[in-house]
Amino acid sequence: MRKLTCLTAVALLLTALFLAPTGALAADKIVIGVPTSLNFLEGKEANNSVKLAVDEINKAGGVKVGGKMLPFVVESIDIRDAAPGVPVPEALLGIEKLILEKKPNALVVGPFRSEALLAGMDMLAKHKVPLLGTIAMSPKTEAKVASDPKYKYVFRVSLDAKYFVGYIAGVMGFLGKEFGFNKVFIMNQDVAWARATAGIMTKIFEGKLKWKVVGHETFPTGASDFAPALMKAKMAGAQVIMPVFDMPQSGILVKQWKAMKVPALMAGFISPLTGPGAWKTFDGKIGGALNAIFELGNIPSAKYPPSKKYYDAYQAKYGVPLEAGHGPAPSYASVYLLKAAIEKAGSLDPDAIVAALKATDAQGVMGHIKFSKGNQLIYGNDPQKEALGCFFQWTDDGKRLIVYPPAIAEGTIKLPAGMKAAK
Amino acid sequence: MLEGTLIYGFINSVILMLVALGFSVTFGISGVANFAYGALYIMTGYLSWLGLHSLGLPYWVAAPLAVVVTGAVAAMIYWFILLRVRGLVVSEVIATFGVGLAILELFRSLGFIGFEYTLPPIIDASVMIGDTYVDAQRLCIVATGILLAAFLWFFTHYTKTGLAFRGIAQDERTALTLGINGDKVAALSVAFGAGYGALAALVILPLGTIAVNEGYNVLVNALAVCIVGGLGSTVGIIVASFLIGFAQILTSTYLETSWMMIVSLVAILAILVIKPSGLFGHQKQLEERI
Repeated sequence: MRKLTCLTAVALLLTALFLAPTGALAADKIVIGVPTSLNFLEGKEANNSVKLAVDEINKAGGVKVGGKMLPFVVESIDIRDAAPGVPVPEALLGIEKLILEKKPNALVVGPFRSEALLAGMDMLAKHKVPLLGTIAMSPKTEAKVASDPKYKYVFRVSLDAKYFVGYIAGVMGFLGKEFGFNKVFIMNQDVAWARATAGIMTKIFEGKLKWKVVGHETFPTGASDFAPALMKAKMAGAQVIMPVFDMPQSGILVKQWKAMKVPALMAGFISPLTGPGAWKTFDGKIGGALNAIFELGNIPSAKYPPSKKYYDAYQAKYGVPLEAGHGPAPSYASVYLLKAAIEKAGSLDPDAIVAALKATDAQGVMGHIKFSKGNQLIYGNDPQKEALGCFFQWTDDGKRLIVYPPAIAEGTIKLPAGMKAAK
Repeated sequence: MLEGTLIYGFINSVILMLVALGFSVTFGISGVANFAYGALYIMTGYLSWLGLHSLGLPYWVAAPLAVVVTGAVAAMIYWFILLRVRGLVVSEVIATFGVGLAILELFRSLGFIGFEYTLPPIIDASVMIGDTYVDAQRLCIVATGILLAAFLWFFTHYTKTGLAFRGIAQDERTALTLGINGDKVAALSVAFGAGYGALAALVILPLGTIAVNEGYNVLVNALAVCIVGGLGSTVGIIVASFLIGFAQILTSTYLETSWMMIVSLVAILAILVIKPSGLFGHQKQLEERI
């Protein structure tokens, strides 16, 4: 009987140790998990940015937790969800593997595909691991967080489709006012966030802006010949083509637009067009295209010095400039947000960290940092009040000129050669 | 609109023909199934890119070198893998498809994903045809397509090796009695087909980016053209390329671009139901079963 009691006690002790909060066991370090598509540009540079922030923080002494200074440690895993054909469950398995094996105190960056993030929210709630997502963009995650407290562990530091739409609507409004344009052709990739963006923009064009949507084409991920659609846009008399793509092949759309001399302004988001390297990659055939940068810091702005400081620090550490327009800056900011939250919470308890993150009110590389009720970082037009995304235009000599929003604009939008205003 | 549709439909048809010619040489003419064809096509693109950007070679060195290496790799695939399963069609398909998967996924896992993987166009300009602007690279594709189709016809009708290809396709045992070394010719045909695919890649890939998934699309398109045209018929391949090519562009122009991708698949299904040997195929065994 005594032997049985002893064995039971040992078993209970081992179970308690196994089930104990990870923070209590890993008290000598704070583990940041980075589960994302590491082979994709945004994932690679977001991961680099997390490491940059971690290096800076560790060099400065680490994170103060209950009177003790602990270093950050980064554990990354490639969940490949951005690659065409990779099923969502496979991406979720990768995240769960990271959670179970490395026992991270928080996750940063996260899935590319909103489908994967939405499906993974229950798992994050089950394991009580905070995630500061910086890539997936569907507004549905925010709605889920706001409607059910069990999803409180999911934060989004990057722009979501709703805010992106706000920036596009602002630019289109300007184009209508300045050049008299009112006919748009929409082209988007067949993925959740791009479909959502195109859908909302169609309503805005036809409602608030009073534009005519003269055509709408959806392309499967991986498509690389846009000539038939460009021909349709030309024949339909489009004055603006609004692309919404995050696949590597989409950059070629602008090159084909140039080659076919389609007399419509290209204004939207094409992920390969965001970085300075695009000029060389696309043989300088992208002049005049307007492209979004989802988060300030992914492009430096002299009018908001923290963005430039981060951009320059990235280049100094890795020897190459940032190319991605979505992900890296909020990933860098997320590590600092996490540091501040842990120090405020004074422990590694996930609920305390989440409560502290929710109360964040500070300046960061993208502007002012404050979360909504649904844990979405609030984006706007003034870096002192909200975080910022922006639009830039490729000039004919290969420079990226920020043209929107007005608070950080370095110049005004110019029509490419061969295009005329409609008024 | 119609003018543009006709021009781009013609160009798209030539692209399909170019993609299918190499596959046809091995699968249709010499009877060897090389389902690694799409992977070899993409490999040419990556090898040329590596030659240009990693080794710093000029394009006129990097591109031919990539074609030669692709051909050599294809010959090795035959010699080390296909030779053991030669004659067992299902095993040939499984083996080559497996090799293709391995090549493509190897590139993916090595990080060859990104917009920077592009090849330079042969002529970097735009040309006006009627009221339609066409980039000169597409005209280069048309010229290359005509040249390669003409050469293939000449090669298989007037050269000893080409006749040997056809010989083993018609009856390998009889060919053997005439002194044709079946294994040697089959290896050559795999390398020759891959070389054709490599040449097609060099002119087609500058239109877009080099992407792993394109390897699968190339294989599907090549298969569709060969099945619809009829295995072993060069004329069939040309006709099928134009049928599918125009159908794709018309679908994209008058319906939705996203539907363009299923045209090849519908064509395969339709021809298998109506005439399984293909429009110009002469496989009596298949026809007699219907």
